[in-house]
Amino acid sequence: MASPSSFKQELLKKWVLGLQSCCSMAKDMGISERKKAIKLSADLAMASARDGRTCWSRAVIANASKQNESKILVQKILGSECERLVKASSIGFSSCNKRFTSKRILRRSCSSLRRIRRSAPKRVQASSIAKRMVKKRTQLLKGLVPGGESMDEFSLIEETLDYIISLRAQIDVMRCLADASERLKSQ
Amino acid sequence: MERISCSSSRSGSCSENKPGIIEDTFEFGDGILMTGNLLQEATVPGSSFTALLGLPATQAMELLQEPQSTKAQPIPAPELWRDSRNEQETLGYSLNCSPTFPTNAALVERAAKFSIYAGAQESTDANSLPSNSSENSLKLKNEPADSESNPSSCLVFSDPATPSENQKSTKRKEREKKVKVSAKRSKNVEHGSSKTGEDKDGEKLPYVHVRARRGQATDSHSLAERARREKINARMKLLQELVPGCSKISGTALVLDEIINHVQCLQRQVEFLSMRLAAVNPRIDFSLDSLFAAEIGCLTSSSFPSAVTIEPLMWQQQQNQQQPMWEVDMLQRPAAWERGGSNSFLAHDNSLFSYNSANSVSLSSNQLKMEL
Repeated sequence: MASPSSFKQELLKKWVLGLQSCCSMAKDMGISERKKAIKLSADLAMASARDGRTCWSRAVIANASKQNESKILVQKILGSECERLVKASSIGFSSCNKRFTSKRILRRSCSSLRRIRRSAPKRVQASSIAKRMVKKRTQLLKGLVPGGESMDEFSLIEETLDYIISLRAQIDVMRCLADASERLKSQ
Repeated sequence: MERISCSSSRSGSCSENKPGIIEDTFEFGDGILMTGNLLQEATVPGSSFTALLGLPATQAMELLQEPQSTKAQPIPAPELWRDSRNEQETLGYSLNCSPTFPTNAALVERAAKFSIYAGAQESTDANSLPSNSSENSLKLKNEPADSESNPSSCLVFSDPATPSENQKSTKRKEREKKVKVSAKRSKNVEHGSSKTGEDKDGEKLPYVHVRARRGQATDSHSLAERARREKINARMKLLQELVPGCSKISGTALVLDEIINHVQCLQRQVEFLSMRLAAVNPRIDFSLDSLFAAEIGCLTSSSFPSAVTIEPLMWQQQQNQQQPMWEVDMLQRPAAWERGGSNSFLAHDNSLFSYNSANSVSLSSNQLKMEL
């Protein structure tokens, strides 16, 4: 990505593409549906502007392409690279998921065994408390960042960084458009 | 220079061993050792400074400039992020080494005095200062025992006695001794699990260069563990700088709290904005030409470049054309716009619009919050 402004420009272009296709798809929509469509197209535009280089963008695309109603939108926004990106995201996603679900099962079984053994010593160390807190928060963060479940700590932090930056850009673009359309309407 | 080639060949042969692990921060230590080697070879007093400058100067200057740049510009972080890994490494350097800089203010002072007395060139002062301080800081980390010798040597030079070549050379000899000692000590402490590597700018070393510090375990597990922790800490520091208000907080859990808050806040903002957009338009039709033609001021006041405002004009004409055309035209047009002469007018309008937009945004978000 060359610069933040080019990222925003690309985002805007793709988003408007998606919005136009939304508009052509369904004429009458309730406000919540409209909001969902707008948000979805914005998210997809943001993810596609990332070009599949980050895990979270691939996860967003994969999630969207799995649902039936958003498939067309995905195709529209992604354009020519649609098939390649969707394939890449779904493949990576499924393999990651399988690997991590099996790891999770193993971890859970081991930890349950450990809990049974360690019920006797009741010392609570500060480091263990801190570790537990950090673990809880990383779990929360994994839930927030799309596709975060299947990530180790290091890549989670990297993805969060990228995600925050892209979210900010998306908010800027959306705010501009919202302001412009509001002012236009008031005229 | 032979030492450099030897070490590079060693690192080349060992590069296959640990492919996945990159230790950015310790390349700096390698650079210091390399400069130590250079120092041993340099005989001319003046040239040793330039030898110092040869390697770490660019990095040191980057180090000094990077923290300020990362703090001042959170949005351009993507370009820092996605450009060459070299920049990531320098970011890693700066963020790991910057804590050591302030603690050596006294040393920096003494180094400054020394450089002034020694009559070093003006241009090299600024460069030698950071390299001196950074070198000293790293060495101090490694050899706390030598700290007594360091102030004593510096005290010698802060004497208002006449600057002489002897003083320069003795300080350099002490530094060389320290470098040799540090090399020996670190070699004694390590057990062959880390190697010095050639310090090339812009090249990603595929091999972990972890140096075991004094008094720390040196088996491969703890080294790898420490490398991993250092990596994670470096990234966490970047995150801290990105999220506003996070740099003062210490403690991983609290920092993560803030990050989670921030991400949730951003996601909520996206929801608000999409709700606003849905409320504004009965249908999702954004007629771009009328939209943008009316709101050029708003868009230029935001962080968009004026190129974005050119888009709508392009859009009308080039709906069916390919993308590259857009970009070419967008590049050419901004210059025309800026030359348009209506800059002052636009700027005036911009201030009004931005003020209004800020007000309306806050009002509407408050209203939405109350409703929800």
